[in-house]
Amino acid sequence: MKVKVSKFILNMALLLLGILTLIPFIWMFFSSFKSNAEIKSLYQTFLPKEFTLENYITMNDNFNFVRFFGNSLFLSITVTFIISCTSTIAGFVLSKYQFKGRNLIFSFIMGTMMIPWAVTIIPKYSIIRSIGWMDSYAAIIVPVLFSGFGIFMLRQYCMGIPDELLEAARIDGANEFYIVGNIVFPLCRNAISSIAIFQFLWMWEDYLWPFIVINSEEKQVLAVGLKMFSGRFSTNYGGLFAATAVSIIPVIAVYLIFQNRFVDGITASAVKG
Amino acid sequence: MIKKILSVLLISAMLFSAVGCGKKETSSKDNTNDSAKETQMDTVDKKEEKEDKKLEVLGDTMKYDPNKEVNDGQPITIDFWTWDFVDIYQNLIDQYQEIHPNVTINLIETPWSDYWTKLPLSLNSKDSPAVFAIHNSYHDNLINYMAPYDIPLEELEADFLNVDSHLIDGNIYYMDYAMMTANLYYNKDMWQAAGLTEADFPKTWADVAEVAKKLTIKEGDQLVQAGFNYNGTFNQMVLGLNYQLDQNLFNEDGTATMNNEAMNKVVQYFVDLYRKDGVGSPDFGTSAGESFGQGQSAMIVMWGYYYNQLINDYPDVKFGILEVPKFSEDEDIYAYNRYNGESSLGISKNVSAEAQAVAQDFVRFSLANDEFLVNYSVRANCFPTKLSLANRPEILEHPVLSALAPNIDRYIWPGTMPSTVEDNMKIAGENILYNGMSVSDALAQAEATINSDLSNIDFVPVENMYKYAK
Repeated sequence: MKVKVSKFILNMALLLLGILTLIPFIWMFFSSFKSNAEIKSLYQTFLPKEFTLENYITMNDNFNFVRFFGNSLFLSITVTFIISCTSTIAGFVLSKYQFKGRNLIFSFIMGTMMIPWAVTIIPKYSIIRSIGWMDSYAAIIVPVLFSGFGIFMLRQYCMGIPDELLEAARIDGANEFYIVGNIVFPLCRNAISSIAIFQFLWMWEDYLWPFIVINSEEKQVLAVGLKMFSGRFSTNYGGLFAATAVSIIPVIAVYLIFQNRFVDGITASAVKG
Repeated sequence: MIKKILSVLLISAMLFSAVGCGKKETSSKDNTNDSAKETQMDTVDKKEEKEDKKLEVLGDTMKYDPNKEVNDGQPITIDFWTWDFVDIYQNLIDQYQEIHPNVTINLIETPWSDYWTKLPLSLNSKDSPAVFAIHNSYHDNLINYMAPYDIPLEELEADFLNVDSHLIDGNIYYMDYAMMTANLYYNKDMWQAAGLTEADFPKTWADVAEVAKKLTIKEGDQLVQAGFNYNGTFNQMVLGLNYQLDQNLFNEDGTATMNNEAMNKVVQYFVDLYRKDGVGSPDFGTSAGESFGQGQSAMIVMWGYYYNQLINDYPDVKFGILEVPKFSEDEDIYAYNRYNGESSLGISKNVSAEAQAVAQDFVRFSLANDEFLVNYSVRANCFPTKLSLANRPEILEHPVLSALAPNIDRYIWPGTMPSTVEDNMKIAGENILYNGMSVSDALAQAEATINSDLSNIDFVPVENMYKYAK
């Protein structure tokens, strides 16, 4: 009985926290169906008094929303895929291969996580400009081909894979590529799912770097586009809310797809090794 | 899992179908490159045709001859960065490209808030935009990357107001397309409900106090409708009204003067509006602009940009706009207020000589193009500095610009005023209204801090460039 009561209280507290977390988003979602006059009116209501789809219909007036959305989707998927692969391979090598300097390399990778992004952004900008990659997707993709966090997480996860399993595969004639592709990747799918969710979200919401290196409107990303609703003197809140509501769909989709594996992956990486 | 994926796809499809209903109105922009390429192929034919056409030369004293070739007729592409007025600039580009089909100008829009981070970074390279929109408040960050205009000074001076105030070592790097300043906004419904007519439009600040009393509604001690509201706009409003009392903002040595007789009188008047006349309260909301839009305040003083906010955010409010009142009935006053310029385009000095030449030509085209200048002024709610446009119907029919028209030469630009001036006058207002500090003490404190900050900044006021400078 005591356990049931404490569980009930815990669930209620979590429910309350969940609602508190969701309310701003729900308010924003409902407000996206209000006119700007209603959003800024003195007497606020949670639900729209006059329901309008105008903010969604006129979304493209500020910038080419569909194009920016597509660009963000392309970059996020590409970077997520690449980082999932590089992190898994690097994590596997650092956890299962014995070679001189392994720990030094891992320490170096860990060290990259300790450097604030603000410190590296100016040298990174200078390098990209001197290479001539400005206004190209190479400037966005190449600097993030390897993720210190991803490698760390996958290394921890791969340490939980039994060595006997890999040895058995080798005895059966499997080469290293086969082992990585057919044994390591499937076994690491929980950790890969976690990395995929994190990386997709980070890439999707990344603003500053794409803003600095991309000039052409046809290559620009959605996070930058959302800023265009804020002018010098005022903000088109209705349009901003509508665009934001649509822009979070891919993030929700990725989370829904990977959510079961996400928790397992985070937990497993945290306890193993 | 499949159900989840399907449900996500379904929601996405629904929202995208709603978005897809919207049509981006960028036909001219999207098609610019294609049309430019097509026209480049016909350059020779067009050139012959153009010579036959003898296109009309634009401009008054400063002319633009569209019959002269640019870049020897060879194809060239330049970038043009802006944060706003995209359709107006695109229209200008379209006109220019029609005259010069060998030139392609890519217009790139960047959000205002980070434009000033990205632009200086980019201007430091040869790949920078050849032409860019600028705001004079970012003068110090940009001036070292800019090339001076290749236009004789006397030509600019003959056509435009206050060109001299932008002179740097005898050169003009940018000037003003138009001037933005303050107006008095009043709510027409409240005006009528208070039994006021056009005959009651205030000419002086004393008149404002009188009509504000009639427009104020209270329930007991509770203020329900403010006759006048300046919450959140104190510094913006008072800085400049000192000119009405023959007082500049800056001394001859470049230091600021805030705690003077004129500014004390100006500030005391507004403090009395709340405390003695009771037509408003510092606790009646934090934003006069929002309060006016929400129908809680009858009169406010706001700058030109507010007009667009009212139209877009508060379409139901019926409002009128008047010239800012004076402190005396004397017709001959030193100046009505300060203004700030909406700057003309900047030219990068780091791009190739060919790109710079095209940029120079394009900027000259913009300054000689009356249609562009009028469209720009109307959109920005700013009065055109090209005074030959003052009587254009678009200007005289515009509520903000028509209110400014009668005395437009009686506004002063103090220079690219550092933010410390506005910031510390804002603090002064808060000290007076909320912290019980006396007007004189608050202004003295603001003056001391401003001058301390100014001693570390390379700021030169240009009040002495004003036509009627004292």
